[in-house]
Order: sequence, then C-alpha cells, then structure tokens
Amino acid sequence: MRSVENALQLDIPLNAQFIRNLIMAAHGVHDHIVHFYHLAALDWVDIVSALKADPKKASQLGESLSNWDQNSAKHMKEVQDRLKTFVSSGQLGIYANGYWGHKAMKLPPEVNLLASAHYLQALHFQRRINMVVSILGSKTPNIQNLAVGGVANPINPDNQSALNMERLYYIKTLIDEVQGFVRNAMLVDVAAVAALYAEWTGYGKGVTNYLSAPDMPMDTKGTAFALPGGYIENGDLGTFKPIKSFNDEYFKNGVKESIKHSWYKGDWNKHPWEESTDPNHTGMQYDGKYSWVKAPTFNGKPAQVGPLANVLCMYAAGHAGTKKYVTEMLNTISAVAKTKVGPAALHSTIGRIGARAVRCAVLLDECTNQWNALIANIGKGDVKTFNAPNFPSGEIRGVGFHEAPRGILSHWAVIDSGKIKNYQCVVPSTWNAAPRNASDAPGPYEASLVGTPLADPEKPLEVLRTVHSFDPCLACAIHMVDAKGGEIVKVKAL
Amino acid sequence: MQEPTITILGLGNILMTDEGVGVHTVNEFDKRYEVPDYVEIIDGGAAGLDLLPFIEGREKVLMVDAVNFDQEPGYIDTLENEAIPVKLATKASMHHLGLMDVLSIVKLSGNYPKEICIIGIQPKSLELGLDMTREIWDKKESLIERIAEKLNEWKIPCALRSPQK
Repeated sequence: MRSVENALQLDIPLNAQFIRNLIMAAHGVHDHIVHFYHLAALDWVDIVSALKADPKKASQLGESLSNWDQNSAKHMKEVQDRLKTFVSSGQLGIYANGYWGHKAMKLPPEVNLLASAHYLQALHFQRRINMVVSILGSKTPNIQNLAVGGVANPINPDNQSALNMERLYYIKTLIDEVQGFVRNAMLVDVAAVAALYAEWTGYGKGVTNYLSAPDMPMDTKGTAFALPGGYIENGDLGTFKPIKSFNDEYFKNGVKESIKHSWYKGDWNKHPWEESTDPNHTGMQYDGKYSWVKAPTFNGKPAQVGPLANVLCMYAAGHAGTKKYVTEMLNTISAVAKTKVGPAALHSTIGRIGARAVRCAVLLDECTNQWNALIANIGKGDVKTFNAPNFPSGEIRGVGFHEAPRGILSHWAVIDSGKIKNYQCVVPSTWNAAPRNASDAPGPYEASLVGTPLADPEKPLEVLRTVHSFDPCLACAIHMVDAKGGEIVKVKAL
Repeated sequence: MQEPTITILGLGNILMTDEGVGVHTVNEFDKRYEVPDYVEIIDGGAAGLDLLPFIEGREKVLMVDAVNFDQEPGYIDTLENEAIPVKLATKASMHHLGLMDVLSIVKLSGNYPKEICIIGIQPKSLELGLDMTREIWDKKESLIERIAEKLNEWKIPCALRSPQK
C-alpha cells in the first residue's frame, strides 16, 4: 500500500497516519509479548523445574525485582498446582516434545515458577492489546481497514457506527491496562533470563550490519517519524546513518537481492524493481542453490533486521524512550548478574531477546503518543481519513517500507497505467534467513549459528534458542494435527 | 442473546486445498442447520492464540480439521478428550502455534472445556490452491453428518433449515 502511495506521491490524511500507527504499534506489542512468553521463553524456562520451587520464595523474588501486583505467594502456589496437574496427566508426553529437563536449562526453580506465572498472565494481556488492532482494523492479524490513500475508518465522535469517542476511549483503556505488565513483568523477566544466562551474550552475534526503517509518520508526506531508523555497519553505533523519508534515496538505491544460492531461474543480483520470481527447484546443493529464500543486501552487504537492529538505530539516533528502557534493562541485568553488563552485550542471541522487550515498551508508549495525536487532531475538527488515488497513464514506480515486528519490510511496485507490472516484497525474515549472497557472504541466521556449543547434539536446544531469537516467520500456512502428536519440527545439524 | 457455551470450530487454511476442509465443512453446516443461540459456529482459520476465547471456559467444543491419521486420503475419525494429543511442541516459528499448543495453553490456564471432540479427515493434498481435491470434497457430506450426530449425542437440538424461498 505504501509502495503504491509512494509511486503516486500521495498525501495521507493525518488521522489515517495516526490510526495506522496505532494499529502498527499495538500489533508490535502483541507480537513481542507472544513471541517472548509463548515461543522463546520455553527455550530458557523449564516448566518442570518450577514444580520444585518454593512459592513464597518465588513471590519474594518477584517483589524484589519490581512492584508488579500479580506476584503474590498465593498466586504462585495456584500456578504451581496447575502446572502439577498439567505435568502429571500422563498423556502429555511433554518430555518427548519440549526440551524440559535439558542440560542447558539453568534457571533456579523459583525463577522458572515466576516466569511460568507470567507466561499465563501474558495470555490475558496479549489479547487485550490485540483488541486495539481488531477494533481499528476489523480483524487480526489480516486487518481490513487499509486502503491506498488512507483508512476505511469513518470518524464521527457521536455516531454509533463510526469510530467514535466511546471506541477511542475504550482503546485507551486497553493500552493503559497492558502498561503494568510490560514494564513490571516482561522487561524484568527478560532481564532476569538474560542475567542468568549471561554466557549467551557471547553467542549468536552473526551479522552486525543492522538495517531498520523509520516508522510512525507524523505528517502527511512521510518526512517526519516518531521512531527513527537507518543503517549501522559492523556493530559500530557511530556509523549510524538515518533513513529520512519515504523518498529516501539512500535506502531506495541500497537494496538488491541475489539468487546465486536460491531456487529461482538464473543467477543475478538485482534491484527489486528489476527482479523476477521464477521458482526452479533443483534439489539441495550445499555449494550451489540450497534455499527458497533470496539473499538481500544493503549496499552489497548482508544486514540483520528486527528489534535489535531497530533498537540500536533508535539508540544511535538518540530516541529518548529507547535510551531509557535500554539503560533500565542493562541495569537490571547487571544487578541480577552481579556484574556490569554494557550495550556491547546486545550483539548476541540474548541481546535480540532483550531488544525485543525494549521495543515492546517503546511501542506501548508509542500507542499512547499516537492516541493522543489522533485525539488532538480530531479535536481540531479534522475528521478526514482518505484521499482518493488517481492512476496516471504510463509507468510509475514506488517503494513502501515499514518497521514490522520482525524488522524492516519493503514492498517495491512497478505500475503501468494503473496495472501492476512488477511487485516484489523484501520481507524481514528474508534478510535474516538469507542464504549466502552474490559474494558468498552468509546471512544472519547462518552467521549467528557458527560457534554455538551443543550440550546434546541429538537435542540441539541451543540452535533453536538462536534461531528463535530472530522470531522467524516460517510455516504460517499449515497447522495440521498429528493424531499421534509426533515431532513436527526437525532440526538437522550439517 | 445467551452467552455461548458450545463452540463448533472449523479449522484450517483455505488457501492450501484440503487443509481448509474444516472451515468449508463448518460453513456449509452453518448454512444448512439451525442451532440454538448458545452454540457458536466459528471459522477459526489458522488463527492460533486468537482461538482462545472460543475454547476457554466453554462446556463443549467440537472441531473439524484435517488430521494426519497415517491412513488413506478421506479416512474420517474422531478424537475425543484424552485421545487428543495435547502437548506443547517445539516450534520453529511463532506462526507455528497450532491447535495442540492452544489446547495445552487452555489446559495450563485451568479453563479446559468439559468435552472436546475433533472430527478429523486425512487430507490428500496440502498444495497451494483454493479448491479441495475431489476425494475430500466428496466426503464433506459425511463430515456434516458427523457434526449433526455429535450434537445429537450431546443432546443439542439441530435441525435442517427450512428451504429458502
């Protein structure tokens, strides 16, 4: 959509920008909460060990780390009882499918219990923040309100069938409800996991060129953004160069994709506007073509994208909220680990998880900021949400980018007299999961796994920890029940 | 309107041929049958955690989905309660949060339905495509009957809608 708007150089009404921004921010918060608690946490937190915890000590520990009001000893006991029922019901077979009891699991029982309690609480809060997305976007995750030129949300403060004051204040309530959990449970849990697995600040670094999009446009043309983005080379924050607008030439000219090692016809390294996508599966050739993923590069180099890239860019750009939460998190990690942990630790597997929590807190604050901006703008009497597009005859080109939960997403459109002539998406997981590129440099996943120690090669939990830390976007298509509940994910070490 | 206590849930991805069989079946059932207000019929798609509100705390949940029984395509069977392999499986991706994970999360949070039944069918194709294969399409009637039978067994009234004028 932004790519088409960019091709048309269309102005987007302020209300539409703020509504889109609210949806993006709430969606990001939802995604990050679910990623940490319901996907990544189980790589680090051992639910079975939580059965051995002393609920009183778990509660004391929780209360010493933050003033979250859902850490009582009574609550910890309740959660532990539920876990007992869950684990003892013989059919579960969790040892077969989870990695619980694995040698690389190191948290004390009390921390495991505390994290398990928050795992269950997170279910409630992820749903609340996702309601913001569904109220504004009609459904989630595939929202229905976006249109080239704006959004299909009519604003009328007094009308039952429009976006009105009641709905807007309900959204505000939902945003406020989640604040306590993210600040006092999530940020603290992530810091505790990071501190107690401090050796993981030394693994999983991979590619340290970081690329991230500025997002949350605050004007109609996309030249001012609430959250900065740009490029950092070689992990050196001093090299940060910002991406400044939706028309930024530095970004527009920097992106290319190679198919030297990907299952597509030919061997080229092209700009997305010039690309084609002609699948040609030729089997596994470890030195030749071995992936469905193309290899994107920024100015010829692979780049890591995602919350870590975003947080580092925002930090380098001096974004106040990001600086605050990064400092807070590093302080908590240092306190729990009883040693000074600095920003260099961020270039790691655990750093990616930490950065995701920081970004979650930044985005949640941004929900409030965007809500305030929307209310203020409506207060001025502006209720416009849409500018109709007009497609000229002849060829036009556009690029649209967005800092999605998994990193920079860019769509590249070539439009000929109102018809799509070429459309290429360079998505976050393509950057991170890229095979080797035209000059055979590996992408972030590949590079990050080099040197990872394995406690048990048959159960490569450590590999999953690093791959999960990128929040991969894979396998969203098929969720089939296996009647026997067999192992579906296979990790193969080569 | 009464708060729903029973869910009929069609699961699957309609973009992947037979993977969408659950959704197609449940939608067709909804068209043909009248059920009481306390029964909620949902196209669950491949929604993952968003299914929680439709499962948590419900008395009974009836699901229709493509299931790998290691049988010939079109083989139909039901999995009930303890026979459903509820477990938190290792995942490669968050998008991988499947039904089993959702059910185990419901179990962990202590609001597991009193009865759960999955009517499953062995799919033939999981390729990209909007149309189901002939073999599986032909089994749709049997699946719809199974839903009606199960509701009958649960003593939930369901009757064919009167023909449209």
